[in-house]
Formats: sequence, structure tokens, C-alpha cells
Amino acid sequence: MLSPPIRLDMNEMPSLPPEHVIAGARRGLSRLNRYVDPEDLARLRALLADYAGVPEGQLVVGPGSDLLLREIVHAFARERTTITVSPTFLPTLETVRAVAARWIGLRLSPPTFTLEPGVLMDALEEPCLVMIDSPNNPTGQVMLDRETVRTVVESGETLLVIDEAYHEFAEESSNSSFVDRVEEYANLAVTRTLDKAFSLAGARVGYAAIGEDFRDAFVGFYGFLPQPSLYAAIEALENPGYARERVRQLVEEREWLREALEDAGARVIPSHTNFLLVRTGVPDIGRRLRDAGVLVSDVSNQLPDGFIRVSIGTHEENDAFLVAFRGIIGEDV
Amino acid sequence: MKEKTVGLIVNPVAGMGGSVGLKGTDGEMHEKALELGAEPVTPGRTREMLAHLERVDEIAFLAAPGRMGARYLEEMGIPATVIGEIGKETSPQDTKQIAEAMVDRGAKLLIFVGGDGTARDITDAVGTSVPVVGVPAGVKVFSAAFALSARAAAEMVDAFVAGTSVTEEEVLDIDEEAFRDDRLASRLYGTLLVPEVRTSLQPAKAASNVSAPAEEVKRDIARFFVETMDPDTLILLGPGTTLRAITDELGLSKTLLGVDAVHGGALVGEDLNEAGILELFEEYDERKIVVTPIGGNGFIFGRGSKQFTPTVIRGVGRENVTVVGTQRKVRALDCLRVDTGDAALDETLSGYMKVIVGYREWMMMEVRC
Repeated sequence: MLSPPIRLDMNEMPSLPPEHVIAGARRGLSRLNRYVDPEDLARLRALLADYAGVPEGQLVVGPGSDLLLREIVHAFARERTTITVSPTFLPTLETVRAVAARWIGLRLSPPTFTLEPGVLMDALEEPCLVMIDSPNNPTGQVMLDRETVRTVVESGETLLVIDEAYHEFAEESSNSSFVDRVEEYANLAVTRTLDKAFSLAGARVGYAAIGEDFRDAFVGFYGFLPQPSLYAAIEALENPGYARERVRQLVEEREWLREALEDAGARVIPSHTNFLLVRTGVPDIGRRLRDAGVLVSDVSNQLPDGFIRVSIGTHEENDAFLVAFRGIIGEDV
Repeated sequence: MKEKTVGLIVNPVAGMGGSVGLKGTDGEMHEKALELGAEPVTPGRTREMLAHLERVDEIAFLAAPGRMGARYLEEMGIPATVIGEIGKETSPQDTKQIAEAMVDRGAKLLIFVGGDGTARDITDAVGTSVPVVGVPAGVKVFSAAFALSARAAAEMVDAFVAGTSVTEEEVLDIDEEAFRDDRLASRLYGTLLVPEVRTSLQPAKAASNVSAPAEEVKRDIARFFVETMDPDTLILLGPGTTLRAITDELGLSKTLLGVDAVHGGALVGEDLNEAGILELFEEYDERKIVVTPIGGNGFIFGRGSKQFTPTVIRGVGRENVTVVGTQRKVRALDCLRVDTGDAALDETLSGYMKVIVGYREWMMMEVRC
């Protein structure tokens, strides 16, 4: 039997969270016959509010930030032109395209994949819903600066939603996060997750800091979490130091892999996330890597052929990926 | 049980320029490639494709003789009926005659191994009468009618044998002379029918609407365009199948490779050249050009267009240029491009343009020159 493939396709963190977090999840398992205790849920909200630096009253917690984004799309996109960047986080895009009255994708062009503020401004129509992931998946680029965010939220009836799933990996992440603006702007919402930096993808804990205008989307939304997720999240946020340390290590590993891939002849887009977007001249590179036992994300449904998105794994996994990658690139010359 | 009759045609000289730094082996370039010690590319690609076929037992093969096909099937012990004859040198004429003969002998699918030139020969020979699978073996293959790789081609053949839908894809006329000078010039040459394979590395994430069948998406684009069309405007429809979907929606016919004009829901000009378009301008003040980017390199206005000349484009104005294209086509482009031969006009056309990619769906794309 073939050994299981190396999974570098889902932007997960490569190792388990620390023991105290797993112990929290176990504690949750011992209460599986019960719904979560409202007091414990309140405890998580207080911890999240403290971590994000926003008032508790503006926080919504739910099983995965993608579901919170989905609630927003369903509440507002039917009546509005919805603007996203392209490429973007696929589940959000799918929901938008299925629901929105009109959709405008702002195409990010290689090689830099930057979003020109002027292009975003030109696209704004009234009323509209703007949904931007920053840092962006799959390009790894920071999409927005403070001035652009200010201009968008101050322009008429626009609702702006920023998906900050990867913000902890961005250099000077405090500067590229807009969660602190939510108090000031009623038409701004920021979604985040513990899936990435906190190594808790399997727990599915997402949260959103929402301005007043977004309240309607969450009427009747209780966002109960599974017991193990709730207690794992509480443990993680009570001692969040591990997440910072893991992000630091991952960024170091990411930069090592980036250089190695460039040495192998690939074009690698500088990243502010836990993955790299890689361009090769091999149109079916994703399939060939899969055949070699390494799963990466084939982003060809949004980008030209030859691009792959590869999550940063353990050093051993990254090494195995590199060996397979070099083999394929070499064979295609 | 043999179910499907499938023809195999290999262009033995395709792709030989690559290893010796030439771009394409059209015309005399083939001899130059041989002089430079070029190695054939097609045997490897053909063998790779055949080795990855899973439903080979359900195929009755027809093969071009020797190194044009039969040799590779024989090597692998796959029975085949040989069609046609070839001499020492092979030519585009061989490809065309054998393709036609295969269709006459009941081939339900043709597999060809080659480059853009081979695709044009196949287009000339069989058009859209039977579906084809193109195995890319050219120096650089641009036509969307090709599979991504030999393995992907095998998957398309298997999908066809299993009974999948087909879609119409572009064959480009690449100017190899220009390509050798590092300029990209291309125009639509024709179309081929290709089996549609919609798989992904992550099936759970492959959105139904992102990967909807291409023909359905073209109809959505056309329906939206027609619903929002101003009946008082002269609409000049450029080449391509997406534009043909618009005339289909209107119940009109379309010159696939040319420019047609519509006004008030009726055809007022067919296969127009510059003079014909300018004549219509005298009659109509409100004008619009609708174009779709050429697959692969994204040109919406290319040099040497006999229809959308700088005079015509200026007479319509940038704000009245509408670009349409399926999501599948535009995602494959880095950007849109213009090269009208008029630098000042190219500059005016640069910037961002809204491309209609679906029903009430647009993509803002950068136009570069």
C-alpha cells in the first residue's frame, strides 16, 4: 500500500497545539451530552475580545469564520452588488456568486497581485457589499491599507467585510489588521479564526468583530461551539504565547522554502501567510505532485495553469515536497 | 468489449524546435531544427498518453502509419487498424488526409499529438464533425483545444469513452515569425470539439458555478448581454464562440472568424472588413464593439486585424468597448492585452476594463500594451 500523501493543500499548521489545549478539548469530551455552558461561552468571548482588542458587545463567535462570512453574504448580498477580489477564498466566492444580485471580481494580476485602491473605488456601486480577504488567499498578499479602508467605509452605503484569517502571519500584523476600526465604523466587519495561527483547524472556532450595520446578519445566530472546541479555544487564548512562537517558526520555514523554490527555478510570490503561491511552467504541476505523493492546492480554477498554492508543513514535509518539485521541474525541461 | 472507434495521429516533427532554441517548426524551420540536432518530442508524449489510458480495452484504434501513430500502439501491444500511407517525409497533407479517412472509417474521436500547426490541420480536415483530444507536443502550445499535458489528454480520452459532454475550444493561428521575434501575434483560426473533463485535485472545493459547463456559461453571458442591450446602438460583434452565443440568443447567424453587425435585433452586416464597418458608421451614431480575448495571451485587439483597425476603434471609443469571456478563459490570462499598431490608441485602451463573465457577473481586468 502507498504511504499516505503529504498534505500541503489546506493551509493547516503542521503540528498539534500544545498539551494544555488538547487537555481542554478532552475536558469538553467529558461533557458531550450537554450543550455548552453559557458562562463558558461568555468566558471565550471575553478572551477573544481581549485578544483582538474589541468590545465584547461587537463580537460574534461561531463554528468557523467561513460560516460567519456566509451569514453576511446571505443577509446582504441579495440586494447589493458584491465586490470581491479575484482570486479569493473559494467558499466565500462560491456563496457570493450563488447569492449576490450582481458580482464584480477585481482581478489581481501577476506578478505582484496587488489591489489598486483606484480600481476598488471605481468599482463601488450603491449599495454594495465589499468582501476582501487580507492577506489574500491564494496570493498571500496584504490587500488593504488604512487609507483605502477609510475611503471605502466613508463612501456612501458600502458595507466592507475584511477576512483576516491569516493576519497573524503578516509582517507588522498589527498594522495590517483593521479590527480596531470596527468601533468607529458601523459598516465595517472583520472576521478571524483560530484555525491557523492557533493550530486549531480541527476545532473550527471563528469570530467576527462587527459594526452596528451588520447586526441584522446575526439575529438569532447563537453560534454554539462543540464542547471540545470551546474548551480548547479557552485554553489556547489563556496562554496564547505558543501561537506567536509557532507563527515565528513557520515564517522562518516559509522563507527557507521560498528561497529553495526560487533556486529550483520557480517564481514564488512573497507571502504574508502560512502558504506560498508558486508559479511554474508546468501546466499540470498539481496533478504531478499528487502522483508523487504530495497534495498541494491546484488553484487553476482561479489562476492560469502552472500555479500552485503550497502550505508550509514540517521541515521534513517541506523537504519531501521540494524533492518531488525539483524532480518534476527537471523532467519537464 | 470494443465500443468506441478512436483515431491516433502523431505529427512526428512537432515540437522539435524547442531543444535547439527555435520557436515552432512550421515551413523550413523543420529542416533547420534537424540541422541543429533537434530531438523528436512527440514519441515521448505519445507513449506517456497511451500509458495513462485506463479504458484502452474499450477502444478500437485506427492509427496513422508508422511514426505517425501505429508504431506506438504496436510497441504497447495495442491492436490497431492502420489508415493511409506515408512517405519518408511527412507533411500537413498527410495529417489532413488521414484525419478525413479516419472519420470516414467511423472514428468517433481523434487523438492528435502536435502543436498549434497540427491543430490547424485537424481543424481544416474535420472541423467540428467529431471531437478531438490534442496532446501538446509543440514548442509552445497556445490553442485552448489542447489538453494540459499528455496525462490530462489520457484522462480526456477516458472521459470520452465513458461518455462525457463536449465543448467547443479555440484553435489559434499563431504567427511563428512574430513569435520568433518575441512578439505574440495570434488570431482565431477555428474551433474543435473537445471532451469536457471537470475534475479537480479537491473535488469538494470545485464549485459548481465556477466549473459550470463552458457552453452554459457562454449562454449566460449572451443572455445577460442581450437583456441589457440598447436596441438603438450599432453592435459590432468580433470573432469567437462567445460572440456567437450572443447571435444565437438573438436568433441570428454569426461569422465565427469575422465581424458581424447587429442593430435593433437584426443583422445589418456580415463578415465585415474595415471599409464595411466605416460605411455603417455613416448610418449609425451610437456604436459598440463587443470582443472576447484570444485565449492564452489575452489580446482583445491585435495587430493586423482587418476589421477592428485603429480608425474603427477610435470611431467607437474606449467606453463603448465591451469585453466578454467565460470565467474559465479569463482566469487563464495574466491580463488583457492590446496591440493595435497605434501606440497612442494602445495607451488609451490601457488601464482596467470590466469583462462580462456571467449573468450579472463581471471581472475588472487590467489591460496592458
